[in-house]
Amino acid sequence: MKGVLTYIHRDFVKWIRYRVGLVSALVLPAAWLLFVGLALPVQFTGNYLDFITPGILVMTILTTGISSGSLLMFDKILGYLNKFLAMPVPRESILVSKILFITVRGIIQTTIILIIAVLIGATILNPAQYGLTYLILFLFGVFISAFSTTVALYLDDHDSFAAFTAMVTMPLFFTSSALMPYDVMPGWLRAIARVNPLSFAIDAIREVGTGTIPVLSITMLALFAAVVVVISGHVFRKVTV
Amino acid sequence: MSAIQTDDLTKNFGSLCAVDGLTLEVNREIFGLLGPNGSGKTTTVLMLTTLLSQTKGSAGICGHDTVREPDRVRSCISYVPQDMAVDTNLTGRENVLIFARLYGVPNPKDRVDELLAVMGLSDRADDLAKTYSGGMRRRLELAEALVHEPEVIFLDEPTLGLDVGARKTIWDHIHALNRKGMTIFVTTHYMDEADQFCDRVGIIDHGKIAALGRPSELKARLMKDVITVVVDGDYSPIQIEGTLLIGRSGDEISFTAENGREALPVLADALSRAGNRVRAMSLREPSLDDVFLQSVGRQEEAQGFEEWRYRMMLRGRA
Ligand SMILES: Nc1ncnc2c1ncn2[C@@H]1O[C@H](COP(=O)(O)OP(=O)(O)O)[C@@H](O)[C@H]1O
Ligand SMILES: [Mg+2]
Repeated sequence: MKGVLTYIHRDFVKWIRYRVGLVSALVLPAAWLLFVGLALPVQFTGNYLDFITPGILVMTILTTGISSGSLLMFDKILGYLNKFLAMPVPRESILVSKILFITVRGIIQTTIILIIAVLIGATILNPAQYGLTYLILFLFGVFISAFSTTVALYLDDHDSFAAFTAMVTMPLFFTSSALMPYDVMPGWLRAIARVNPLSFAIDAIREVGTGTIPVLSITMLALFAAVVVVISGHVFRKVTV
Repeated sequence: MSAIQTDDLTKNFGSLCAVDGLTLEVNREIFGLLGPNGSGKTTTVLMLTTLLSQTKGSAGICGHDTVREPDRVRSCISYVPQDMAVDTNLTGRENVLIFARLYGVPNPKDRVDELLAVMGLSDRADDLAKTYSGGMRRRLELAEALVHEPEVIFLDEPTLGLDVGARKTIWDHIHALNRKGMTIFVTTHYMDEADQFCDRVGIIDHGKIAALGRPSELKARLMKDVITVVVDGDYSPIQIEGTLLIGRSGDEISFTAENGREALPVLADALSRAGNRVRAMSLREPSLDDVFLQSVGRQEEAQGFEEWRYRMMLRGRA
């Protein structure tokens, strides 16, 4: 546990010291929200801001999470990983620390979005609803960061990994329920959106907004996250013998 | 119980045998594993530091098997890889503190101060490591490696890419550690450094140990003097009594003789008679280079350089 915290602390300090990255990480999602939520002249539903915010929250977790596999990859390519692996600290702490750091970093970014959303007119939810929203975002974050880290361990070079990131992010986002409700989607898009893991998290947060507790969705997300974490651990052990 | 003991340690990568039946014992000394790029030095170190499992054979560090008791091994060693991996966006102090915390040493802050002072980095401790020179980064890595007072320390090419002064400083630190009782296992492809600073060296080529012993012993196996000849064009071999061919390296051909001053004119004569056009000749004492040349033959061109450059370039981005 001490190892995990030390590793997280290391990545955290590096993150906040890397100014450009920090600013873009915070400004980009906010810009999305302002642009899509306010400026876009479409109105599918009553309060489009309330509708779009869950999509932007999940997209933020997706974009910051999916590229973060490079954190472990760079540690590996540049030799830090070998230094850490030669220490008597449980080896899995490195993997756990990366997944937690990436997820928590995403949660910090989404908090900023939640605040801006309220400032520009989204409905204020009660504390329990925010708690559930965070839980969903956390589970989705663990799912995405473990997935990304596993792919990075497999691919092992940053160019193919960058290609992978680009290939996954946009299609996933535009074929999800982020931007429009299912009933206005063309049939083919609806079919894809229904099975898109992104929609899963987005729909769950929307349900929370309407006052219900999406037990099934949360259980499913937890299950997905658990499965990917186990696979990730397996790949990590295989790569580090 | 030896600090390092290996028995028939072997590593295959597919059909390539990177380390071939290494049997070795190292104790409280500065041991240098010496060889050109690609000879299997790093692979050996990775196996000894529990970072790579062997194909065959076994290795023990301080009496613990590297495969069966990796955690015991990791507690008594430190490993400094050849990549120079320090977090450049963290200060020197922060870098070392991470290691102190990971090893769980008591009073980590004090320990870090103490080590930074030993390595002569106190006055720059709170500057970002990206402002450090190569030599300072290496010393920072040594400080990291020392936080838990390891019994054995592995240094992979610790002086690669450093200037002469910085190399000397690193070797001085290595000596000081050894005097305190630490066993140092160091790899290098700089023969002159190994000659000067190692108690014992193993010359490795294509994964096999070609010569093992004290540098002075190894050199004594050659005759007293070495004569190096540079010829223009092709070399036609010669045979003369009292001189022995060591080997060729590029357009240089080296011979060894008991009395170089007398052998020199004889050799020059014989070479011209055999039709060689001699451009230059020189006489000197044997070096480890000559031992290397004799035990493994022609020295190959360094090939690891491009990769090194690539890593340095990447480092700026991390
Ligand atoms: N992971 C690997 N997969 C395949 N071949 C490898 C791997 N690591 C090293 N090698 C090969 O093993 C040989 C020894 O490499 P290495 O131990 O790095 O040499 P050195 O450190 O002496 O330069 C080289 O031919 C290298 O290409
Ligand atoms: Mg090497």
